[in-house]
Order: sequence, then structure tokens, then C-alpha cells
Amino acid sequence: MKEGFRQAMAWLHTWTGLIFGWLLFAIFLTGTLAYFKEEISHWAKPEVNSHPLDAERSLAMAQRYLEANAGTSSNWLIRLPSEREPALSVGWRDPQGQGRRGFVRKELDAASGAEVQARESRGGDFFYRFHFELQMPYPWGRWLASCCAFVMLLGLVTGIITHKKIFKEFFTFRPGKGQRSWLDGHNAIGVLALPFHLMISYSSLVIFMYMVMPAGILASYGNSGGYFDELFGRDEVPEAAGERVPLVPLPQLYAKVQQQAPGARMGFIQVYNPGDRNARVSLARAAADSVAYKRSANWTFDGTSGALLTQGAPESAAMMTAFTFVGLHMGNFAGPGLRWLYFVFGIAGTAVIGTGLVMWLGKRQLKHAKSAHMPGELRLVEVLNIASMSGLLLGVAAFFWANRLLPPALEGRDGWEIDSFFTLWALALLHAALRPGRRAWGEQLALGALAFGLLPLLNALTTGQGLNHSLAVGDWAMAGFDLTALGTGLFLAWAAGKMLRAPKVVAKRAAKGDKRTALEAQ
Amino acid sequence: MLAFALIGFAGFASLCLAMEKHFNELLKRKPTAVQRKALRVAGWALLLVSLLLAVQVRGLALGLVEWVAVLMAGVTLWVFGLPYQPRLLLAAAAASCVLGPLLAVLAL
Repeated sequence: MKEGFRQAMAWLHTWTGLIFGWLLFAIFLTGTLAYFKEEISHWAKPEVNSHPLDAERSLAMAQRYLEANAGTSSNWLIRLPSEREPALSVGWRDPQGQGRRGFVRKELDAASGAEVQARESRGGDFFYRFHFELQMPYPWGRWLASCCAFVMLLGLVTGIITHKKIFKEFFTFRPGKGQRSWLDGHNAIGVLALPFHLMISYSSLVIFMYMVMPAGILASYGNSGGYFDELFGRDEVPEAAGERVPLVPLPQLYAKVQQQAPGARMGFIQVYNPGDRNARVSLARAAADSVAYKRSANWTFDGTSGALLTQGAPESAAMMTAFTFVGLHMGNFAGPGLRWLYFVFGIAGTAVIGTGLVMWLGKRQLKHAKSAHMPGELRLVEVLNIASMSGLLLGVAAFFWANRLLPPALEGRDGWEIDSFFTLWALALLHAALRPGRRAWGEQLALGALAFGLLPLLNALTTGQGLNHSLAVGDWAMAGFDLTALGTGLFLAWAAGKMLRAPKVVAKRAAKGDKRTALEAQ
Repeated sequence: MLAFALIGFAGFASLCLAMEKHFNELLKRKPTAVQRKALRVAGWALLLVSLLLAVQVRGLALGLVEWVAVLMAGVTLWVFGLPYQPRLLLAAAAASCVLGPLLAVLAL
């Protein structure tokens, strides 16, 4: 009975892992990149320069800009520069309905307050969005991603049950032994970073729990709108009075918040009815300030008198639990050290999925090692393995190359970047289908090695902000990106070398195995 | 962060050595029962100390998160480095035993 249970779990692990593994690999890899969303965006928009932070000065600059350019708007949005975002972002609801959903966004230089003419690019936001929306229309992508998260959680639990020797082999990794090493690697990365894997897959379900398990919400509220209003509170904004009264200087309000919460960093700052008697200003604390993804730390002021009107109420224990999971998933609170660790564990999660896919195929290929022909279904898995792993890496590289090579003024260039990502990914699928397995791996990895390894050079040539510049001025986001690309290139080159060389070790082992079976036969 | 990371790393190294198989492989001799027990107790004690230190220095929320993160990173490094650089990692674990507490004291 017990063996039967374990075998059933192994079966579930194997097959759900295979079916969802390709997509999960993409979700994990892009999600990992999303931990450096702002840094990637900074690389993707090299026109935006970073300057020392000065919140009050930035706020005054934003107010001056918005009063001059959006005086008649009903709603302003300000995001101050931070350690990770160099630009001062402003946005406003356009009375003429221009911009995306009638909302105009601009990026200002944090030192001069002048509009930055940056190239259009989604930057890190593309990978962030892709990792839970999969470039599909709302809400289908979120549903599919949630299904994948559920399968990941299932895979972890069934994996633990299947593994059985968790503690006995806790410290075990035996390289250079073919399938044995792959299994050791798969198990070790899975077990050693298990807290991360469990946290990341469970919390992704918590993030979308209102969508995945809507019954309770629908029964009590009828629709999710009422639920969110009660959960997060509604901004009670009065109608504009139609009487012009100047807006209170925003840095004053910032100073009041600092008195209440010394050292608080600001997230979004919203102004309703600016320049009207009924103006309201709300300041929210940055998500970077606490592990839990809180919504309660906000202050709403009267925009004409500067009086504090309301302050967010602390969360209940249940909300804090949920928000802690959300916060842990997103990692907004992480400083540079912890952020790198998040990135590393993201890679680890990706590697668990990748090694699992490789093993599924390797185990079955062994049976057909002698015959020249591989069964169609195994060939299909092989092609999809190659396209979903090395092909995806090529797509990511294509996105970055497009960012640097497309003319900055090109109409709709952010769309072109995304198109190049998908085009190269599709071409990689075609290439994998046309070339024999090992060659296809080797060639795609080699191309990936070149594409990532040369990115720092491309950056230096096209923007003049190469490593020589970024290291000298201490622009760590830019330098970190280039160095990571270089590291990725070197790793891919090593992997490509392994694939392109003849598989000596495997051949020797097979020969030994043959001898043994021959002896046994005697 | 580095202080409790190093102490936790030493703790895991000690727990690893407490297993007969790994003790044999790494130190080329058989452990006595007392040695194994001592290593196991020391390993758990080091992990506990690093946890307390993390919570003490960084607060409950951040401390717990960072403690789990650096521990996972350390043990992953240990397990995947062991087949290639066993002596280097043993030396690193020994150094961590000294350096970790030293850094913790200096930070007080």
C-alpha cells in the first residue's frame, strides 16, 4: 500500500512536471529577471541618469512641472526617484483623453526636472508582466500562470514524497555520473532551496486567491469590487468645487509624514483635484519599507490647508498573513544583497524545472540508445525542451539586442522589442525541430553565449555607457547588468562546449555496461 | 548579515560531518560515536545561534527572511562545491567558526 502511494506520487510528479514544465521554466526565468525589474529598466533606458536622492526637492520639481503642464487635470500621480529608480515619474489624467487609458506619463530628470526624452521600452516590466500574464489577454494568462503555480506546488509535494531519502542524502551531489548526477542535482537544488520554492509557489496562489477561489467573495459581496473596497479602503475624494485655490507645497506634506514616520520612503503620491478648493493629497509608504506588502501606511491631506485628514488603519492578522506572503514573493523590501539571493534562488527554481525536463527525456532515451531512430513522442519532447530552455534564453537576448539596435525614435519601438523576443523564440523552436538534438542544444547555447557575452560591448558602442563608464561613475545597476550578461555568456559558452564535444563519458559508460551485461549473460 | 551567514554555514558543515559517510570522505578516517554526537550538537547549536543573532540584529521579519536566505545559499554552496573543492570548503567552514562570531562582536 505504501509503495503504491509513493509510486502514484512519482507518476504524478513525472507527468505534471513534463506537461507544465516548459511553461514553468519560462515563468520562473522571467520571474527571476523581474527581481531586477527596475535595474533592467534602467539599462533599457540609458537616457535616464541617476542622481543623489533628495525627496523634497524632487517633489517640488514634480509639482512645478505638473502645475505648468497638467494644471487642468483631475488627478496627478508622482513617483519619487529611489535607489532603484533614477527617474522622477509623473503622470496625470488628461482632460482630452490622450495617452494610454487617458493617462499621460512622463519621466523627469531628478536633478534638472526637465523631461527626459528616453527611448520607448517596457524594460524589466515586460519580463515582470510576462511571468504572470504570459502575454495573453486578461484574465487568461493569469489563470494559466496560476495553474502552473499550482502544479509547481504539487510538484514540490509529490517530489518530496518520491524522493524519500531527503535527510540521508541531504548533502549529496555526485558529479560526472550521467543520469545519477542529474538526479542528485535536481534533488539537491530542490531540497536545499525548498523554503524558497515552497514560498514562491504558495505565495503566487495567495496573490491571485481572489481569482482562484472567488466563492467566498462572491457569496458575501456579490462581486470582487466591493471586496477590494473593504479590504483596501476607497479614496473618498469629493467632487471638484470649481473654485481655484492654490495647492499647498507638496514638500510640506512630505515633511509632516516624516515627522510621523521618520525615514519613511514614499511610494505613489496622488493628488486629486489639484488647484481646486477640494484638493486631496495622499502619500503612500514605499513597499520597500516592510516585508509585508502593506496598504495601510498612507496619509491623506487636505490639499489647500495641508491638514492631515485620514491615515490608513493597521491590517488585521489575516490580512497581514496574506500580505506577508505577497511581500515575500515580490521581494520589494530586499536590499542589494538579499535581492541577489532572490535572483540566485530564482535561478535555482528554474534549474530544478530544467533538470527535471532533461531527466524525463534522458531516462527514456537510454532505452533507444542503440537504435538510430528515436520514437516521435520522445523527439517532440526533445524539441520542446530545447526551444523552451535555450530558445527562451535566445528570446531574452533578442529583447536586449533590439533595445540597443532599434532606432530610438522608432514609432512603437517597445512593441518591436517584444516582437523580437517572440520571433527569436519561435525561430529557436524551428531550429530545434530541424537539427539533431545535441547539435541543436550546442548551436543554440553557443549563439546564446555570443549574444549575452557581447551585450556589454554592444552597450558600450551604442550608448557610451559601457563598463568603463558605469564602473567609473559607480552606476551599479548598469554595471551589474553588463557583468551579469557577461557571466551568463560565459556559462552558456561552457554549456555549449559540453554539448558540441562528442559525448565521451556516456559512450564509455555504455561500453562498460555492455561488458557487464555480456559477463552476466555468460 | 555576513556574521550570521558564516555561523550558519559552519553549522551546516558541522551537521554534514556528523554523518559517517561524509566524515569518511572528507577527513579520510572513521568518526567515533562521541565525535559524531559532538558534531551534531555543535551543528544545531550554531544554527540556533545564527538564528538568534539574525533576529537580534535585523528584527523578527527581516531577520527570519535573511536567515533562511543565507542559510540556503550557504548549504547550496557547500553541497555543490564539495565534490570539487573539499579542502577549500573545510577551511572556509573552519574560518567561519572564528570569523562569524568575531564579526558579530564587532557589530555590537
